[in-house]
Amino acid sequence: MKAWVMAQKDLHVFFRDRAAVALGFGLPILLCTVFATAMGAIGGDGGSVGRVELVLEDADRSSASRALVAELQAADGLRLDVLAAEAAGEESKDTARSRVAEGDAPAGLLIGAGYGEALASGGDLPLVLYRDPGKVIEQQILAGNLLPAFFAAMGERLGPRIGAKVLDTFDFPVLGRERAQAILDSSWSSMEALVGELRTRVPDEEEEGDDEAAAIEAENVEADVETGDKDGGDSDSGFDFASGMAELLGLEVEDVVGGDQEAAARKVAQQANAVAGMAVMMLLFGLVACGGTLLEEAHSGTLDRLRLTPGATGAILGGKFVFTALVGLSQLALLFLYGSLVFDVPILRAPLALGVLSAAVAAAVTGFGLLFAVLCRTQKQLEGLSTLVVLTMSALGGSWWPLAITPEWFQKLGHLTLNAWAMDGFQGIFWYGKGLGGILPEIGVLLGIALFTSLAAWRLFERRMRV
Amino acid sequence: MTASQARELVIEVRGLERRFGERRAVSALDLELRAGECLGLLGPNGAGKSTTVRILATLLGASSGSVRVLGLDPLRDAERLRARIGVVPQELALYEHLSARENLEFFAVLQGLSGTMLADAVQQGLALAGLAERARDRVKTFSGGMKRRLNIALALVHGPELVFLDEPTVGIDPQSRERVYEMVESLHARGVTMVYTSHQLGEVERLCDRIMILDRGVKVAEGTLEELWRNPRVERRGGASLRFASASEGEHARALLGAQGLACEVVDEKPDLERIFLDLTGRALRDEESA
Repeated sequence: MKAWVMAQKDLHVFFRDRAAVALGFGLPILLCTVFATAMGAIGGDGGSVGRVELVLEDADRSSASRALVAELQAADGLRLDVLAAEAAGEESKDTARSRVAEGDAPAGLLIGAGYGEALASGGDLPLVLYRDPGKVIEQQILAGNLLPAFFAAMGERLGPRIGAKVLDTFDFPVLGRERAQAILDSSWSSMEALVGELRTRVPDEEEEGDDEAAAIEAENVEADVETGDKDGGDSDSGFDFASGMAELLGLEVEDVVGGDQEAAARKVAQQANAVAGMAVMMLLFGLVACGGTLLEEAHSGTLDRLRLTPGATGAILGGKFVFTALVGLSQLALLFLYGSLVFDVPILRAPLALGVLSAAVAAAVTGFGLLFAVLCRTQKQLEGLSTLVVLTMSALGGSWWPLAITPEWFQKLGHLTLNAWAMDGFQGIFWYGKGLGGILPEIGVLLGIALFTSLAAWRLFERRMRV
Repeated sequence: MTASQARELVIEVRGLERRFGERRAVSALDLELRAGECLGLLGPNGAGKSTTVRILATLLGASSGSVRVLGLDPLRDAERLRARIGVVPQELALYEHLSARENLEFFAVLQGLSGTMLADAVQQGLALAGLAERARDRVKTFSGGMKRRLNIALALVHGPELVFLDEPTVGIDPQSRERVYEMVESLHARGVTMVYTSHQLGEVERLCDRIMILDRGVKVAEGTLEELWRNPRVERRGGASLRFASASEGEHARALLGAQGLACEVVDEKPDLERIFLDLTGRALRDEESA
């Protein structure tokens, strides 16, 4: 009975703070909405599948190269950025390779001059795929979309080409080579005929086929589990386009970031990304709590005492800003130091840029923290609001998954958060080795966020302090 | 013109009103306070004492009326005024994780003190609060009385000309209360002007030159204790009564009445602030008005 009386009291107290109650009940619903929307968008929901950007440079400009471009444009999983054609004799600095090297896109494709002719004659295709191996998920999506496009664009010319490559691979004796090639060509024609037949099947049969495919997939998954293969059979090596189909197609693959130590570099890139993502999110939580000391001052009565000192508004808010930003900067420094020691995060790659970016991130997060502290009237309100906003911003801003695998609208939305800009900046330093000049846009946006949120906090606080 | 009237007018309030929505916390209040005076502000809960103090101390704006404090407008000249006043809040506004010295230094610096002035102010504050020996201890280890004394010292660290004390002795033992009285008396002796609000009628009687009684936001009486005692609204004990300024006058009246065959008793009645207060403000509870 006394326990019930105690519970009743707590319920009364809880429901008195209406804003906190609204956040308490609304928060889980809102977070579910955000995450379900995000996961749905990543998983694909009727055409809004996350598309990977591919920078395309067509140096051939033949009908064959245009056909390949058209097929790539039609691919569901690719967002094509076709570079403008240069005038004859001019050399552009804006190439597919430079775009990938700068981190603007996870991959680029160069259709070299003579592609059309080589395709017709059966010669080596002047195709170069530039990759950013740090963006592992994007490379898998890319591989899955490049192959069908190549097959569709090259049509029946691809069969003999692949056949010849296979024979080369097996070092087939010259004597029987012609016959072997004929067998392979005829097999290719049979395969094409079978594909044509399968495509004309009635829908219910297709469904049956789907069921079969699902059953086979399930078997494969079981097999993966038994062998301890968590990524699935294909992705054990991330379906390495470079060593598999690329060779058969005669496609040259170049990893423009990461160099010879690609695997190690890729691991470091992913770890650095994770460290930076978590650092920004935890910083947001921590600094909102720091901003909350303003509420503690109001609650304890010291805020009134501070107000009675000359220049109070500026001193109070300015003091809280400096305190919170310094705490944030120290937290970031410690996290990156730890990341460097344990996960090889390359913090010395561009120390000046890292320092300035960290300061900008701390300033932006501090601005948010102060704005929340001024907006909220109680600690419960602050806790509820900060949880909602911090988790939402972290999900939208790429702290939990790479923004590149989300739909375009999601990426645009994500860049309304400071997390996305911070992540872009940190990735620029750790993976692309950018210096201060390379991350100026990110620093500018973060400082802009810091300025905007701090000014908003200032105005609100001034209004609240006004007698 | 009396000596008191010749002194500079420190607080001058005319027709002050402060509304919170529909509720009038202070209404048509006139108030004057001269340099060196200590005014006791009395009233039941919700009478408007704290609201009045907050308006005079620049922490709250008035809805209407005119207010001048040390010749300045508390709204427009808040910055200049804040450097010249000290406010002892009702609640303990201290940093518990800092020491007494650190608390004093912090607020002294914010008030613009530095160098030897800062060091002297901190030493004086510690001495005034009787905390010199505990200067380096964290406030959270202090007793309620020590915290109250430090709470007062913090308001005085920059040497204000005018001090507002809002119920500065709430919840402390008699020894600490006595120390607080001594602090206030010492300030009074130094000529610091003060406004003192309290529910402890005895301390107002002891410390204040004049008393103002507020009820429901309105001033119901003002004057010295003697003047309040002579207020016709303060009830006399049973039967017809006459009041005389001295015992000899009473004895003379009794003789005259006796000669007429009328029996009467001369009672040497001392002013009783509690009676004055209850007679002027009534005995009904006022808790709901403080909400």
